Amino acid sequence: MSVLARLRKIPFWSWVWFILGVLYFILPLYATLDFSLRMQRDTLGFRSYEKAFADPQFIKTFTYSITLAIATIIASIILIVPTAYWIRLRLPEARRIVEFITLLPFVIPAIILVFGLIRVYSAPFKIPFTDVVLLQSLTTFKFGTNILVVAGYMVLGLPYMYRSVDTGMRTVDVRTLTEAAQSLGANWLTIIVRVILPNLRAALLSGALLTFAIVVGEVVLASFLGVPAFGPYLFLLGQHRAYEPAALSFVTFLLTWVAMGIIQLVTGGQGQAAGAH
Amino acid sequence: MAFLEINNISKSFGKVEVVKDFKLQVERGEFVSFLGPSGCGKTTTLRIVAGFEPPSSGRIVVNGEDITNKPPNQRDVGMVFQAYALFPNMTVAGNIGFGLQVAKKSSAEIKKRVAEMLELIHMSDFGGRYPYQLSGGQQQRVALARALALSPQVLLLDEPLSALDAKIRVALRSEIRSIQRKLGITAVYVTHDQEEALSLSDRVVVMHNGEIEQVGTPFEIYNFPQTAFVANFVGTLNAVSAEVIDPASHTLRVEGMNIQAAQGLDGKQRGDKVMLAIRPERLSFESEGKKANLLDCTIENITFLGSIVRVQVLIGDSRLDMDTFNNPFLELPKIGDKVKITCSREAVLILNH
Repeated sequence: MSVLARLRKIPFWSWVWFILGVLYFILPLYATLDFSLRMQRDTLGFRSYEKAFADPQFIKTFTYSITLAIATIIASIILIVPTAYWIRLRLPEARRIVEFITLLPFVIPAIILVFGLIRVYSAPFKIPFTDVVLLQSLTTFKFGTNILVVAGYMVLGLPYMYRSVDTGMRTVDVRTLTEAAQSLGANWLTIIVRVILPNLRAALLSGALLTFAIVVGEVVLASFLGVPAFGPYLFLLGQHRAYEPAALSFVTFLLTWVAMGIIQLVTGGQGQAAGAH
Repeated sequence: MAFLEINNISKSFGKVEVVKDFKLQVERGEFVSFLGPSGCGKTTTLRIVAGFEPPSSGRIVVNGEDITNKPPNQRDVGMVFQAYALFPNMTVAGNIGFGLQVAKKSSAEIKKRVAEMLELIHMSDFGGRYPYQLSGGQQQRVALARALALSPQVLLLDEPLSALDAKIRVALRSEIRSIQRKLGITAVYVTHDQEEALSLSDRVVVMHNGEIEQVGTPFEIYNFPQTAFVANFVGTLNAVSAEVIDPASHTLRVEGMNIQAAQGLDGKQRGDKVMLAIRPERLSFESEGKKANLLDCTIENITFLGSIVRVQVLIGDSRLDMDTFNNPFLELPKIGDKVKITCSREAVLILNH
């Protein structure tokens, strides 16, 4: 059957909903793109993009946010993959509790999280009932603050990363794969590195993409912890300029799309494998 | 001393005891099947041998070494799973060579062994394919080769054919048996399919409610079931209650008629109630040469099942199935006819409980 004949078989209302859905996503993007190209009166051009990219603050904040995003993704994987793996393997009864915890960022606003972090970590951490300082106040030095920001971002990305990883583990039946690897003599490290992680590639990439998108656009945590991130920069730019923020927003969209395309490319084979299995 | 000893294994999940005092000795090179319905504890017992579940009590000994407390990756026990469990990110060769890589064998050695294994399962051209490019039967053959690549002391197979269609199941079970014989490996096979267990095994362990009901060769299990459960679970069976008339001559009374067994009434007294069992194929119509154990009955139903014809008869209130080979010249009575059926004394089995 030709592609055209197949398309003709799709019911009318399916087409209507599909087109409405596409318009819902495309129109705001198109409006943003169109607006960003009209910096010069009566002509379409990339002036706003040139100006936005020329600003040294853009490069600085964008690089900083990407670095934080990568750090957040790595830390999240290190925390979440073994946790979700162990829950699937040995502690299925803990699953509900952990799922509830991962949903908390949807309920508790980021402003509460950031004030909590500041309140706890702005004072040195002492051994209880003594004056022995175990940990300096994290908010008083740059690296410490970066750790706090990454920790906060990990919390914000938790629902997305945990769910992606958990779904991925369900798809590949990690329990049986683990037992198969064990019966072949593999230890835990070998199992995680050679069997589990490679089969979670798609799940990890989608979790990473969502975390990346959250970190790059995040404003509240970065503002209150006073770090030079891209989110607050874009927010400030939006208060003083009209066209450059639109240009940068569109660039961010494009970056997200490129990332999604890469995920499709990289995980195409694996999706097939999971489907066949 | 047996090669694999499962000594008094018990396993409880909370308050539920799923395996009760399981004892079995498996000789080197023997093929033993655990047969039973779902939830009878057969898979749990296998998983205890593999090391995936710790027993609540008891010991597992392989080749004289107690492996009860060893982790699964140090037991030298290969396992084939129902769901194949091939690593989707590795090719067929990668899957087969995984255990050898973990064991830090040289790449030349791994290559040689993988080639041998691929040849063993008749899939030499499939080394570069991924699991999703194989059929279910092919995937399970690769899983078997992967488990055998390390030459484990014991091979465990957990319902490996359940997910396959009937034709492939029959073909693959012969292949599994022939590979096991060729390599002389000790194998324990779990299944709920009696045909599979009977056709594959040197010995069959029939399990029920976490306990061993009977251990024996397929011939013994089928022809001489010791309990009502085994008799009912393995093959079709007529079970009828009877009263002991004369223990010395093994005479019983069924629905007002006398019937003689060959054995099984030791220790019984006149008037004791027992359960007797007769396989449908051991019953036949009365003829010149068959005059023993005659039972008056009424034909209730006749069903053609291809190569055999199943005749249902009523003896008093008891309903019995009788199988007779089909042939074009077979003359069968009609439904409602009064006839006499018979069976040899040896066909009458006395069940223990």
